[in-house]
Amino acid sequence: MNFSFSDDQVLLRNSVRAALDEQCKAAHVRQMFDDAKGYGETLWSEMAKLGWLGLPFPEEQGGAGLGLVELGIVLEEMGRAAYPGPFFATVVLGGLGIELGGNAAQKDKWLPAISAGTARATAALLEADLDWDPASTTTTATRDGQGWTLSGIKRFVPWAHVADVALVPARSPEGLSLFLVDPKAAGVTLTPMVGIDLANRWSEMRLDKVAGGPDAVLGAPGSAGPLLDSLLRRAAVMSSAEMLGAARRCLDMSVGYVKVREQFGQPVGSFQAIRHRCAEMLLEAENAHAAVYYAAWALSAGAEDAAMASSICKAYVSDAARKVCGDAIQVHGGIGFTWEYDLHLYMKRAKALEPLYGDAEFHRELIVRHLASAR
Amino acid sequence: MDLNYTPEDIAFRKQVRTWLEQNLPAKDIANLEERRAWHRKLCDAGYLGMGWPKEYGGGGARPMEQAIVADEMARANAPAPTNGLGLGIVGPTIVVHGTDAQKKRYLRKILSAEELWCQLYSEPNAGSDLASLKTSAVDAGDHFVVNGQKIWTSGGAIADWGLLLARTDTKVPKHKGISCFLMNMRQPGVDVRPLKQITGSSEFCEVFMTNARVEKSDQIGRLGEGWAIAQTTLGYERGGRALARITTYSSQFSRLVEAARRLRRHGRPLLDNPVVRQKLGRIWSEIEVERYQALRTLTLLERGEHPGASGSITKLSYSEFEKRFMELALEILGPYGQLSGNSPDDFKLDIDTGVGERGGWAYAYLWSRAGTIYAGSSEIQKNVIGERILGLPKETRADRTGGKA
Repeated sequence: MNFSFSDDQVLLRNSVRAALDEQCKAAHVRQMFDDAKGYGETLWSEMAKLGWLGLPFPEEQGGAGLGLVELGIVLEEMGRAAYPGPFFATVVLGGLGIELGGNAAQKDKWLPAISAGTARATAALLEADLDWDPASTTTTATRDGQGWTLSGIKRFVPWAHVADVALVPARSPEGLSLFLVDPKAAGVTLTPMVGIDLANRWSEMRLDKVAGGPDAVLGAPGSAGPLLDSLLRRAAVMSSAEMLGAARRCLDMSVGYVKVREQFGQPVGSFQAIRHRCAEMLLEAENAHAAVYYAAWALSAGAEDAAMASSICKAYVSDAARKVCGDAIQVHGGIGFTWEYDLHLYMKRAKALEPLYGDAEFHRELIVRHLASAR
Repeated sequence: MDLNYTPEDIAFRKQVRTWLEQNLPAKDIANLEERRAWHRKLCDAGYLGMGWPKEYGGGGARPMEQAIVADEMARANAPAPTNGLGLGIVGPTIVVHGTDAQKKRYLRKILSAEELWCQLYSEPNAGSDLASLKTSAVDAGDHFVVNGQKIWTSGGAIADWGLLLARTDTKVPKHKGISCFLMNMRQPGVDVRPLKQITGSSEFCEVFMTNARVEKSDQIGRLGEGWAIAQTTLGYERGGRALARITTYSSQFSRLVEAARRLRRHGRPLLDNPVVRQKLGRIWSEIEVERYQALRTLTLLERGEHPGASGSITKLSYSEFEKRFMELALEILGPYGQLSGNSPDDFKLDIDTGVGERGGWAYAYLWSRAGTIYAGSSEIQKNVIGERILGLPKETRADRTGGKA
C-alpha cells in the first residue's frame, strides 16, 4: 500500500510544470484565443520531444509505456496552465481509444504518429441531446460495398478542426460501432462552437454520407459499447485531473492574493471569513487529488472497483473544482472579475470540463447502479 | 503508487478476522466489568497499544497493522475496548514526555485497563480558547493543590486517573503558564458529575476539583510546558482509526440502501426515486473519497512521517461529512430514523455506545453533531489549516496584542 508519487512521478510532474511555466504562460494562453488553429506548433513539437504525446502508449508504438497515473500528472499540470491545444483530444480521446479498440494495423498507423507529434486525433462522443450513454447514439453507418457510409450530427467535438482522425460512434446494422473518420473528408462539415474557455476549441461535426473504407471500423462492428464505456471512464478521470490542476491554480492564486491584499488596515487573509473559505478550498482540492489518483491507479491496475472509482472521481471533482474556482473569484473580489487578471483562464478551463464525459449527476446515477447491483 | 495491500497485510487481516470470529463476545456487553474482560482479551491478543514500545507492554507494530485491527473490529461490529483515552492520548503522552518512573508506574496498567483514564482539558470558559483555562495548581512544597472545574470529560465517571492541564503561573502570557499533571481521580477533593447530552446518554462529565492533591512525581514535563505537550497529544490519534471509521460508514450506508429499497413513495421503492439516488450517490462518493484519503494518511504514517497540521483537513473532512450523511439517513428513514428503541429490523442500526444502551440511527444522527465540536471545532480546524498549511496571516486578537477584548 503506497498512495504517494514515486520519485519518477515527482520528477515527471516537476519537469512538466517547469516546461509549461516557461512555454505556456498566461500570455501564451491569451495569444491563442485569437489564433486560427488555437495552439502553438512549437510547444506541440516540444511535447513530442519530451515524450508527453506518447506517454501512455506501448514503446513499440513510439510511446513511453507509462500509465494513467503519469498521464493524470501531465493533465493536472495542463489544467494548472490552462494549456491551449489538442493534447487531451489527441492522447486521451483519440490515442487511448485507438489503443483500446484498434487492430495492429490501426495502432501502427496512428499511435507512432501521435507519439511523434505528426498526427492529432479526437473523438466525437456527444450528439444533440447530450446523452453520454453510448447507447443513445443516432448517427448511422450503412454498408457500402466493402466500406461504410456515415451520416449524423456530432456536437462539442474537441479540436476537430485540427484533427487528422476522429473516433465516431455510429449505429451500424451489427449494432453500435466505432469508426475512424478523417475530419477533412468529403461530406464532413465542421462549424466552430465557441464556449467560455477560449483556450479550448469545440466543433459541431456534420457527417453527410461520409465514405469510409473497410478498415475504418475500430474493433468488430457492433461491439463498440464496452469500448466506449472504457474510453468514457478514462476521459472522465483524465478530465478530472485537468480540473484538479485548474482548481489548484485558482487556490494558489487566492492564497497568494489574500496575503497581500489589505482592507481595514490588514491583509484580508487574516479575516476568518476569508481564511475559512481558503481552508475549505484546500480540503476540496486535497479530496479531489485523492479521487483523481485513486481512480487513475484503479483503471491502470484493472482494479475491481475501477468503474466505480472513475464515476466517483468525476462526480466529486466536478463539484469540488466548481466550488474552488468559484470561491477563488469571491476571495479575490473585483479584481477576480476582470478580463485582465488571469484567474478566469483557469476557472473557465474547469467549468468547460465540468459537463464533459458525464457531469456529476450522470456519474452519481452510475454509482447508484453499481451499488444497487452489488447487493 | 500501488494501492494494493501487501501479502503480509492481507495475511494479518485474515488472522485478525479469524481471531475476532472466535473471540467476539456472544452477547451485548452489559456493564464495565464485562467490557474490562473483553478489553483484557484484546490486550492479551496483542491488539491494544500495538504501536507502543515493547518494553512497556506495547507491540511495536506498524501503523497499517493498527489500522487493520481497528478496521476488522469495525467490520465485525465488535465492542470497543475501555480506556480509550488512556490508550489514545495519555499513554502516548507518557511515552513521549514521561519520566522512566512514570512509564513504569502507569503504562502497563493503562494497557490492561487496570487503571482507567480521562483527560482534564476543557473548562466551562475555556473551549476553543483552551489556553485561557483557569484551573490552578499551586506548589505546596511536596505536592500541588488543584482548584477549578473541568467539563466535557469523557469517561470521567469511571476514571481512576486524569491527565490534567492546570495553570501554574498567572504572570506570564497565557500559553506559557500552563503545566501538565497526572491526577488521581479517587480522592475527596475530586467530584465527578455526569453530564447528560442531547443523545440522552452521558459519555461526558463535569469534574470539580477542590483542594485536590497532585504529587510532585506526577508532573509531566517541566512547569510551563503544558500547552506544548497538549499540542503534541492532539496529534497522537495518528490515523489508527482511519480505515475503521470508513468501514463503519459503509456498513451504515448499506443498511440505508436496504432501507431505501424497502420504503416506498408514490407506489414505487424509494431507491428508484432519482432525487434519492442522487443523494445516495453523493454520500457514497464522499465515503469512498474519505477511504482514499485514509490510504494517503496511512502511507505517510507507514513512512514514519507525521501528518501534522494536515490532520486538521482529515478531521474537518470526515466530521462535516458525517453530519451530511446522518442528515440524509434521517431524511430517507423518516420517523423510523428517530426511534430510540424497538426499531423494525429493516430500519435498525446497532451501535455500541460504550455507555449502557445500544444506539440506533437517532443516536448516530445526534452524535454526528458532536464531531464538529470536540477535539477542535471545525472553525478551529479551519484556522489551523489557514495559518499552518496555507500560511495565511494570523488575525489580530485581543489576547495577543494586549488590547481590549
